[in-house]
Amino acid sequence: MSPLLLVLIPALGVLLLGSRSGRARAPALLLGVATLELLVALVIAFEASDTGYFHGYVMVDPTARLFATVIDLIFFGIAVYVWNRVREAPALETGIERFVALALVFLGAANLALFANHLLLIWILLELTTLTAAPLIVRPGVLSSRRASWHYFLFSSVGLGFALIGFFCLARSLDADGREATFFLNELAARVGGPADPWRKLGLALVFLGFGTKLGLAPMYSWLPEAYDEAPPATTALLAAVQFNCALVGLLRVVQVYRSADPELVSTQLVVIGLASMAVSTVSIIATRNIKRLIAYGSINHAGVIAIGLGVGKAASYGLLLYVVSNAFIKAILFLTVGKIKAHYHTKDTREISGLIKDLPYSGTFLMIGTFALLGFPPFGSFRGELLILSGLVGTGQVLVFAVFCALITISFVATGRTVFPMIWGEPKKKVTWPPQTALAAAPKMVFLAALVAMGIYMPSGVDLLFRQVATSLGGP
Amino acid sequence: MSPLLIALLGVLLIPLFVATWRTSLLGLSCQGLLIAWIAFRLEKPEMTLGTALTVLDLVVVRALAAPLALYLVRSAQNPPRRNDVIPPNMLSWSLVLGLVLLAFRLAAVVVPQDGDQQTLVAVSSSGLLLGLMVLSTQLNVFSQIVAVVRMENAIALFELGGQHHDVSPLVRVGQIAVLIISVLLYRWYLSTLNVEGSPSAPPSPEAPAL
Repeated sequence: MSPLLLVLIPALGVLLLGSRSGRARAPALLLGVATLELLVALVIAFEASDTGYFHGYVMVDPTARLFATVIDLIFFGIAVYVWNRVREAPALETGIERFVALALVFLGAANLALFANHLLLIWILLELTTLTAAPLIVRPGVLSSRRASWHYFLFSSVGLGFALIGFFCLARSLDADGREATFFLNELAARVGGPADPWRKLGLALVFLGFGTKLGLAPMYSWLPEAYDEAPPATTALLAAVQFNCALVGLLRVVQVYRSADPELVSTQLVVIGLASMAVSTVSIIATRNIKRLIAYGSINHAGVIAIGLGVGKAASYGLLLYVVSNAFIKAILFLTVGKIKAHYHTKDTREISGLIKDLPYSGTFLMIGTFALLGFPPFGSFRGELLILSGLVGTGQVLVFAVFCALITISFVATGRTVFPMIWGEPKKKVTWPPQTALAAAPKMVFLAALVAMGIYMPSGVDLLFRQVATSLGGP
Repeated sequence: MSPLLIALLGVLLIPLFVATWRTSLLGLSCQGLLIAWIAFRLEKPEMTLGTALTVLDLVVVRALAAPLALYLVRSAQNPPRRNDVIPPNMLSWSLVLGLVLLAFRLAAVVVPQDGDQQTLVAVSSSGLLLGLMVLSTQLNVFSQIVAVVRMENAIALFELGGQHHDVSPLVRVGQIAVLIISVLLYRWYLSTLNVEGSPSAPPSPEAPAL
């Protein structure tokens, strides 16, 4: 099955939104498109053939197959959340078609970015996801959300600008070496070789800085807590769990090509960026009293762990993938749950929220489980992934990095628990009536939770094979 | 080509010292035109699809449409004439000169042979570093937008120096489309953030969010 269907289906959805009946049923249309996308992504994921389309600009490979499944599953969960939220709060029907149209363009671009085999095409598609996500951050009448949207757009433009210059520097490196420059990833892999010249060193540094900005890695991370905090929860989940993975796949593509030629250069840069991100996020986790910002800083922390895992490579590759996919599900669960909690308490201040497990049993339970997964507890995939990354650090002799990593993780663990656990198990501060939460509303989060546990305990052989194929492409065994 | 590049460097520097918002926009326009001129000096102009796209990108969008779109919004807001792009003090001016020297030093490292290529890399690096400097010193949305567009122009100049044979017209169209949508979004932010940010704007109650 052609991956172009993953673009055509959202495009058709946008066209249907143009009709009066389409606009009237916008949330259902979103849900319908998300369901179809998920089905197509699942079929593509388990088809054995890896082929190219459009003169090689689009390529099916294990990395694209795995991540398309993940982002389409999460998008499906977000679509269910939106559909249910509009049913609960009919005031949200006003302007919903704008959200749906932008979300569908975002989805099409995100899917194609995963399958793109050309660096400039990846850049264009990531820009397109940014251009569609930026207006989604804005909440009507809330100036701070408009400012957050501007900062997100500003940082993304600058970050992706750096990545683009990085691509041109990498092309110049080939020129300088007497080889024909190319942006096709499969051709790059065959042409890159020999010791790194200044163009390649500069190019890789700029690409890491650029993609690092999109991932919320230090030093250009300051847009992330603000955007995640101010955006509506559905948009936050889109940014944190869908766009994050698209940008990460862009970074993985570059690492897949350049790791064999410059293992030291790639590893050192990624480990340094990763540790710096973990350090700044740990300090911020200690200081914040805003639940959305707390999870946002947790995301920066996770991005740091991912950068370190990517830098370690080899034995850590499989663990890295487990961690990345777990991270996507954890963020989707937590941000969608926090949306419910904020709608209930009308605050994000952690000191004002208490006794969630009694007051909002579903949301309290999801916040509790999500926090345990965020902190890397067993039996979740994040625990297994983190363990494999740590053993990879020890295996490659990076003991100092291992020690700093463990210290930072421990501090962020204590700081997060100190803030979140009283919210869950403390005495309720107020009693309000709350409409009963339907099982359907909780279903997507249950699916994400099942996936998290499966990654920690047992994975079906087909899924495991896909993970291992991607790990091999990253230099894993 | 070097006189054109030096002229471009001048166009990058002058709006930093002549601090009016109109000079900033005129500077963006001149940058687009000079980069287009440089593009035609690098490749002989022939009537091909690639040439048409270059004209669309550099002349129509960067030199004309983007500055004009920002000008229309800005003039409707009736702002004060003066708009400091960098803090007006000796430290900032020294920093500007230091960044230009740093850009030329960097160019000498990556392109050891003296010539047009080295100057092109130096001028585009200067544009990029000066854009970053403006971004790091300014909180005002207009100045930030001008800084990002300056950086995008610097990237376009840098792109001209490479030989990219496998970039299809469709990809070029995609890049131009991204630029056009970005300019529309800049316009949107400039018109909405400046108005809503003013002290006279009444606070609005928060509606339920998705």
